[in-house]
Amino acid sequence: MTYWALNAIFLAVVLATVVIASIVERRRLNWPALGITLAVLLVMTAVFDNVMIGIGLVAYNQSLISGAFIGVAPLEDFAYAVAAVVGLPSLWVLLGRGRHERGRAMLKALFVSSRPLSWINTAFPFAAAYILTTQRIDLTLVLGTIYFLVPYNLAMYGINDVFDYESDLRNPRKGGVEGALLDRRMHRPTIIAAILTNIPFLAYLIVVGGSLSWLVLAISVFAVVAYSAKGLRFKEKPFLDSLTSSTHFVSPAVYGLVLAGAIFSPQLWALLAAFFLWGVASHAFGAVQDVIADREGGISSVATVIGARATARLAVVAYLLGGVLLLFTEWPGPLAAILVLPYAAVCAPFWNVTDADADTANRGWRRFLLLNFISGFFVTMLMIWWRLTT
Amino acid sequence: MTLLYLAALLVALFGMVMLDRRFTLFFWRDARRAGVVLAVGVLFFFAWDLAGVGGGIFFRGETSFMTGLQVAPEIPLEEIFFLALLCYLTMNVYGALTSRQHNPGAAP
Repeated sequence: MTYWALNAIFLAVVLATVVIASIVERRRLNWPALGITLAVLLVMTAVFDNVMIGIGLVAYNQSLISGAFIGVAPLEDFAYAVAAVVGLPSLWVLLGRGRHERGRAMLKALFVSSRPLSWINTAFPFAAAYILTTQRIDLTLVLGTIYFLVPYNLAMYGINDVFDYESDLRNPRKGGVEGALLDRRMHRPTIIAAILTNIPFLAYLIVVGGSLSWLVLAISVFAVVAYSAKGLRFKEKPFLDSLTSSTHFVSPAVYGLVLAGAIFSPQLWALLAAFFLWGVASHAFGAVQDVIADREGGISSVATVIGARATARLAVVAYLLGGVLLLFTEWPGPLAAILVLPYAAVCAPFWNVTDADADTANRGWRRFLLLNFISGFFVTMLMIWWRLTT
Repeated sequence: MTLLYLAALLVALFGMVMLDRRFTLFFWRDARRAGVVLAVGVLFFFAWDLAGVGGGIFFRGETSFMTGLQVAPEIPLEEIFFLALLCYLTMNVYGALTSRQHNPGAAP
């Protein structure tokens, strides 16, 4: 990676900060002051950087810099000054108090909209897949994990909340940690924030990855957008909804594997297929509780089309089928088959649920959310065990 | 000689603090907010440095002006103070230029 490519990634983060600050705190960011500060810092950088390089405090790999210099200072070095002048006052303004309640409320709304409880569900599959393959911590692992932790979820759930506005209003469950009811004024900032937080990370991941990783990443991002964006609305297409939702969680793992250069053995395919079935079952079961709300909101899902009962049964069967597939994975993978049983048990009480009392499935859903953290722990233990035996 | 660069940075930082105090620019305007901005700034630039070093773009020069202590591979101790100075200077200049927006009654 050249110095300019590196700068592009970090400057993109700064750009995102200043754009958010100028949207959220339009009147607080003082542009003339920024301009003068920039001029001062650029001049001082030119002086001090030349001194520092002149006396040999820092040196550069000549093949990775553009060759444009101010004196002996590479032009790229000035990106630090630009980032400081643009990024820090933006952050300062964003952290302001008093009159800036609106900005803080906006950040809080974005935070809630990104579903903090679900961050781990996308970041963990990526991080685990990547680190189990490379066996070392590097910049790509850190940045990729951060990407699948926050920006990815902000895009997924933010877009979802914006386009679900109408049906969410009728759904009392979607006002807390399980899902945000996003104020109409928040729609534009949410989309902008999703785009701006995604771009720097995607830029980095594209730079470091190969063509197959681009394909997987493209599928992943497409699934995020297509799930709820107007015109595509895969979430309203029965079965495609559950498949797309599962892709949201499995594709980060596949992406981590491809990026790390993993070898796709039949055992690994069985593991991924089991994970995918788990995702399909989880989504389908999650849709059961929303049957009435979704029908009233004019939204169709796998559950509104085949009914609550059939959907609950589909979930149980898909979980168990995933368990069977796990038996074909590398030891101690087959032990993970035990972990699907609690999931099937959580759904099983709703084997005979009717559309009328479908909302009682929310009880099962709450247990499901808890179960994820417990299963996550055991899956992690199994991965560590697997790593130690190979 | 080994302390020369570090000492120069500390003197400059001390100057920043004095200017901040005298003209209510950064920490003396809102200490908590300034603390967050400075910490985020230093960590951000440190990550940038780490990435640059990791990518083999730049590296520490061998000089007699530095302590030789490293906080990470190829990153001298002095770099942390340099980054803090960069951030402090930026916010002091910006603070000086925007002081009209500030309520002078809040000075300590």
